[in-house]
Amino acid sequence: MENIEALKKSGDIRGLIRLLDHGKANVQWWAADALGTMGETACDPLLKILDYPKVNVRLGAIEALADIKCSRSVKNLIQKLQKDFNSEVRWAAALALGQIGDPRAIPALEIALEDTDRYVRYGAFVSLSMLGWKPADSTQKALAFIADQDWHAVKTLHSAAVFPLINAYRDKNPVTRKKVIELLGEIGGPEARSACENALKDPNPEVRWCAVAACKRCGIETEKIPQVLTDRPHSTPSPLGAAVLNLFFFGAGYSYIGKWWGVLVTLCYIGVVTMIQLNWGVLFPYIYTYPLTAVFAVHTYYSVKRMPDM
Amino acid sequence: MTKTGDIHGLIKALQSNDADIRTRAAQSLGSLGQASIDPLIRTIRTKNKTLKLGVISALAGTKDPRSGIPLIAALSDESSEVRWQTAIALSEIGGDAVISALYNALKDEDKYVRFGAAISLAKLGWKPKDPTERAYYFAGMQEWLAVKNIGKPAVHALTGLLKDPDRTVRIKAIEILGSIGDSEAVPALMQSLQDSDQEVRWSTVLAASKCGVSHMHLPRGISKRPLNTKNPWIAGFLNFLLPGTGYAYLGKWWGALIFSFDELVTLWIFKMEGDNNTFALIFPVYLILGIHAWYMASKIPEDPP
Repeated sequence: MENIEALKKSGDIRGLIRLLDHGKANVQWWAADALGTMGETACDPLLKILDYPKVNVRLGAIEALADIKCSRSVKNLIQKLQKDFNSEVRWAAALALGQIGDPRAIPALEIALEDTDRYVRYGAFVSLSMLGWKPADSTQKALAFIADQDWHAVKTLHSAAVFPLINAYRDKNPVTRKKVIELLGEIGGPEARSACENALKDPNPEVRWCAVAACKRCGIETEKIPQVLTDRPHSTPSPLGAAVLNLFFFGAGYSYIGKWWGVLVTLCYIGVVTMIQLNWGVLFPYIYTYPLTAVFAVHTYYSVKRMPDM
Repeated sequence: MTKTGDIHGLIKALQSNDADIRTRAAQSLGSLGQASIDPLIRTIRTKNKTLKLGVISALAGTKDPRSGIPLIAALSDESSEVRWQTAIALSEIGGDAVISALYNALKDEDKYVRFGAAISLAKLGWKPKDPTERAYYFAGMQEWLAVKNIGKPAVHALTGLLKDPDRTVRIKAIEILGSIGDSEAVPALMQSLQDSDQEVRWSTVLAASKCGVSHMHLPRGISKRPLNTKNPWIAGFLNFLLPGTGYAYLGKWWGALIFSFDELVTLWIFKMEGDNNTFALIFPVYLILGIHAWYMASKIPEDPP
C-alpha cells in the first residue's frame, strides 16, 4: 500500500502498470485506482497495454482509462468491446465506455446488447443508460430488456421480442437459454416455433425439458417432439464401445463408462495374463480369458443400454 | 426391557439398524426418566453417530434439566446431524442457558441446524428482542419475505448465510441484500463475486451494484473466480515423463490405460533392443505425446463467467 502511494507520488506509471498483475487482488485494485488518478499523461502507456496477454492487466488498464475519462481511448475500447475473447474484458470495456461518457460509443454499445455473454449485455445496457440512450424501436427495446434480464417486460413486447430472444439463445449460460425458450414458447409464431424445436437438441437437459413444454405451447405436434429430441447430443457412452473394450482389454470398458476402478481391473487383468503367459506360453491364457471377458462384455453392454439418458 | 429397566440393553438398542427400534428405545429410555440420565450422559461422548443421535433424543425424553449441559455441549458437535438433533431436543429442556445456546445455533453454518433451532426457540416461547434477533430467527425459519421486511438490521444475519453450502440459500440471501441495498454488505458481496457457482456470481453482480459498488469494479471481482482450467505445462510435462498421466490429468478416461500400455511396451522394447536403442526410440514419441497434451490443455475453453 505504501509502495503504491510512493509510486503514485513520483508519477511512476510504469511501476504501477507492473503492479496490475500482482499476486494479490487488492494490490491490483489499488494500482488500477492509482493509475486512474494520473490524468491524461497515463493515457498513452495504458492504451499500449490494452492487448497485453494477461487478463488482469487488460482489466486494470480499462478501469484506469475509465477513471481518467480519457476520450482518446474510446476507439480502442470499442475495439476491445467487439474483439476481445475474454468476457470480463468485454464487460469492463462496455462499462468504461459508459463512464467516459462519449456518445460516439453508442452504436458499438447497441451492438454489444446482442453479445453472447449476459455480463457483457448487462454492462452495455448500464452504459447506454448512463449515456442517456433511449431505444429507437421495439426491437431495441427488447434487446435492452433482455440485457437487463427484465423478462416480464420482454414478454409484453410480444412478436417484436422474437428475434432478440433467438439471438440471446446463443448464450453459453443454460439458465438464460431456459428463460429464453420459455418466453419464446409463450410468444409463439413460426420463428419462435422453429427456435423451440431447435432447442430440443440443446446440450443441457434442463433446457431440453423446458423446450418440450415450449414446443407444446407453440403448437408443434406432440408426436414430432420425441423425433426431434432423439437428435440431441448424447452424453451417455456407447454400449457397443464399452462391451468391445471390456472384451479385449478387460476393465477399460468400465473406465470408459466412468467407473474409477476400471483401471485397477485392467492392471490386474494384464498382470494375471502376463504371469500365465510367462509360464504356459503366449496364447494359452486367452483360451480361458476370452470366454470370461465375453460374459462381462455382454453384461456391460446391457447395463450401459439401461443407463437413463434424456 | 422397559419394564425390567434394562438401561444398558436399551442403550445398545439405540445402535440398531432399524430406525423404528432406535426410536422406540429412545422413547423408553426417556420414559425411565431419572434412572437413565446418568448412563445416557456418560454415553453422549461416544464416537458412534447413530448412538449419539439416539442418546440425544432419549435425553430430550427425560425432560430433566440435568441433561441441559451435555446437550448444549453437543450443539457444537462436528456432525451437523448431531447438532440438528440437539437443537430439536433442547426444546424439551428449556431454561435461560438453553435459550441463549439455541440463539447462537441460529448462526450455524448448516441450514438444518438453523431451522431446528428456530423451531425450538418458538416452541419454548422465545420472542426476539430487537430487529437483529428477529432477522436471525426468520432467516433460520427460511421466511425470506419477513427477513426482507426487516431491512438494514438484517444485513448481518444475511451476510452470514453467504457461506452456506446450499447455493439456493446463498442466492436468496444475496437477492435480499441487493433489495436492502446497504453498503455494509459490500465486503461480503465482494467475496461472493468469486463464488464457485455461476448463478450465485450473477446475482451478486446485480446485488452489488444496488449496494453502491461501482459497476467498473465488478469485472475484476468476477475474473478472480475459481477457474476449472488445467495448466497446459503440467499436462505436457506429465505426459512427457509418464505418457498417459497427462491425459488422465485432463480428465480423459483413457489416460491411465495409455499409461499401463506404455509400461508394457517399454519393458518389451527394453528386453528386445537394449538400453540405448530403447531411449532413442521412445524419447521422440514421449516428446510428441507431451506436446500433444500441452496443446489439448491450451485448447480447453474457459468456463463462462
